[in-house]
Amino acid sequence: MAEKVLYVFSAIAVGWAVTFLLRALPFLVFGSGGEKPRWLGRIDGFISPVIIGGLIVYSFSSLEWRTPWPYVALAATVAAYLAFRNSLAGIIAGTALYMALLSLAGCMVPVEAAPESSARNPPVRVGRSGIAFRGRHVVPDDVPRLLEKHGYSREKPLHILVDDDYDDKRALWVFKHNYIDRAGYTKSVWVHSQKGASGTVGILPKADGVKMPYQNTRSRGR
Amino acid sequence: MIGYVTMGFAAGVLFSAKIDVPCAALFSALLAASCLSGTLSFAIVPPIASSAGLGEIALLTLAINFRYALYGVPMVDRWRGVPLLRKWFLIHALSDEIFALNVSCRIRRPETNVLYCTCNGVFCLAYWVAGSTLGAMAGKALPIPSKGIEFAMTALFMVIFTEQMKGLFLKNG
Repeated sequence: MAEKVLYVFSAIAVGWAVTFLLRALPFLVFGSGGEKPRWLGRIDGFISPVIIGGLIVYSFSSLEWRTPWPYVALAATVAAYLAFRNSLAGIIAGTALYMALLSLAGCMVPVEAAPESSARNPPVRVGRSGIAFRGRHVVPDDVPRLLEKHGYSREKPLHILVDDDYDDKRALWVFKHNYIDRAGYTKSVWVHSQKGASGTVGILPKADGVKMPYQNTRSRGR
Repeated sequence: MIGYVTMGFAAGVLFSAKIDVPCAALFSALLAASCLSGTLSFAIVPPIASSAGLGEIALLTLAINFRYALYGVPMVDRWRGVPLLRKWFLIHALSDEIFALNVSCRIRRPETNVLYCTCNGVFCLAYWVAGSTLGAMAGKALPIPSKGIEFAMTALFMVIFTEQMKGLFLKNG
């Protein structure tokens, strides 16, 4: 938890530092009586809408953008803002409508059944060619987000398949610690593939008695 | 004033709903006091919640608050000769609304004008912090349905965007 506190603290510190530097920039540049270039006044009215427009698109990533509701609420926001000439009215109206639509129509949004992680069906695979999530190559940074997105439970074991020819134990440990444990999936287990007698590649968990040097050593549950 | 407290409240509720950290109210207050940027207070929450890298947060802040780099321009001459510490505070408290108030201030005497700007900053900062803290406390204590509250950020952007569009078209047309 202390880690988390430190992280949030440093994130806020970063936000503050960047914001303050931006605000102080003109004072640093023109403070000593420098000449203000004329283009500055011209781009002022142009560059801000571009940035804000980009931010609107960006903010949709945390909304249910596949449903029509955010678009409806967006229209309501503009309408309320223009009607009442008050930014607060627009924000409250739009947000309230969005929240209402989302909770009312929640049943209309198809909800995928949360997938189960199992030794036969491990969501994450680590090998020499990198990391794959459900058969698709990804960068490690994306793994926590994808696990969250697909609804894997943090309460249940999470199976990670390690290719037999992959023996970089340190990298495995780092991956698990930085991307799996830290995202709250503390019950991960390593799984190794084994060639069965019939020649088909089956996926079997290591026997419980065999302790792997990099097995999960964290206490399970509390 | 009402606007500041309410927006801060919404930001606080969002913060405590999405980020699982002890003393969320304290952090929400810290965020409000240090950044004093409504947009950032909303936008920084999703990356923190998903434990994004600090570089990513810095980049996001840079993109969102880039407009602040332009706010200082008209203030450079006006605040020339203000003691350094006070100037730092004035710069720190240069948010959208405060900038709008400061710019439209018609007081001619430099001392009074700076005093006006300072009071502006102090009060807005106080309202903003109070709103954020109360919001985070309320979000933790009450079962406020927080599903969908992320839209407040989009709505805020949309309102700013509409305002800018209006300004742009009224100026040109």
